[in-house]
Amino acid sequence: MKISETIAVLLIVAVMSLVGNLVGFHNGIIESLPGMIFLLALCVAGVIMRNVVPGNIPNVAWIVLIGCIVTYPGFPGSAQLSAWVGKVSFLSLTTPILAYAGLSIGKDLDMLKKTGWRIVVVAIFVFVGTYIGSALIAQGVLSATGQL
Amino acid sequence: MKDGIKNVKIHVIVLILVVVSEFIGIHSFKIGPGTLVLLPMLYALIIGSLMGPKFLKAVKQKDMVDAGSLVGVTLMLLMARYGTLVGPNLPAIIKSGPALILQEFGNLATLMLGIPLAVFLGLKREAIGAAHSVAREPNVALIGDIYGLDGPEGQGVMGVYICGTVFGTIFYGLMATTAAAYLPISPKALAMASGVGSASMMTASVGSLSAMFPDIAGELQALGAASNMLSGLDGLYMSLWMALPMSEWLYRATYKVKYGTAPERFVRKGDE
Repeated sequence: MKISETIAVLLIVAVMSLVGNLVGFHNGIIESLPGMIFLLALCVAGVIMRNVVPGNIPNVAWIVLIGCIVTYPGFPGSAQLSAWVGKVSFLSLTTPILAYAGLSIGKDLDMLKKTGWRIVVVAIFVFVGTYIGSALIAQGVLSATGQL
Repeated sequence: MKDGIKNVKIHVIVLILVVVSEFIGIHSFKIGPGTLVLLPMLYALIIGSLMGPKFLKAVKQKDMVDAGSLVGVTLMLLMARYGTLVGPNLPAIIKSGPALILQEFGNLATLMLGIPLAVFLGLKREAIGAAHSVAREPNVALIGDIYGLDGPEGQGVMGVYICGTVFGTIFYGLMATTAAAYLPISPKALAMASGVGSASMMTASVGSLSAMFPDIAGELQALGAASNMLSGLDGLYMSLWMALPMSEWLYRATYKVKYGTAPERFVRKGDE
């Protein structure tokens, strides 16, 4: 994957997110711009780290790590960065992703029909089981350590 | 991916979907003691999936493939935003560390119920692929590696993977708020459970929860993101060392109960 192609996709999604952020959350495009540029910079930094550092650590792991460090309370400028990025609603970033995912789903629907109803029943069970199983353990540990 | 970038048509359609979905906005409905939260991303997903040749005929097969090729990169901005949510909340996350780590074992609850159910429904070795995990990308890769994706185990894991892609996001969004409303589980615990190794499922779950509990939205989002990262790190090894051996054992045990005989010995890829 070329870095230039990645940046092109990121810019397209950034524009769409800014529009969504305006329509859905009434955050002006100009006031959201510094936060969006910061997010773009984090993505580019993550992609560069992946290419520079050996060990094949995925892009997203780098992006989250760097974002986490520079907004950690006490990091120079962290308050300003958090204030900027606060203007970019996290929900407005999800809408373009699921629009692309939605467009691509059409090709999976036929395959779903072929796999049959038994797999669908098992899938529902799997989703519920993982979620409720994990939530019950988390609930137990949180209340045992007095954090609720 | 190059084709995807140059496909102006899909970008225009996505932009329209974004504007329409955000315009409809967040809607919550009171159902009994709970709240059903519908988010713009759900509208975008549903309307988008209706654009195909079967329904609205706005996109062709190639457009669907192009759109799919971009999804991985489009996730990066969201992940960057998640990083900036985790940073300020890191002290709180470290405090929740034990709960965050131990809840990962909840993933094993899946196979304890899923394998017997799948065998009871009449699935054979498909059961192992289908029920050993939530079947996201790393799990599909793992099953492919061990059994091959063209065998029954591969069909099982692909089936659940496709279900997850098609309705997993919607399902997780609805399940999160239903659980928050009807089960005695705190939103924090539900946020931790949201990280199953799929960014879109986690986002749907955490997004719905944060619309329901706006006062602690930031902390919920941070816990979900942290839990999802953890699943990404340990999920593969958990499947390989714990979930798959347990699935094999449980499969043999329930097979004997249902059919009265032991199942045929399975052949690992490359052993023939």
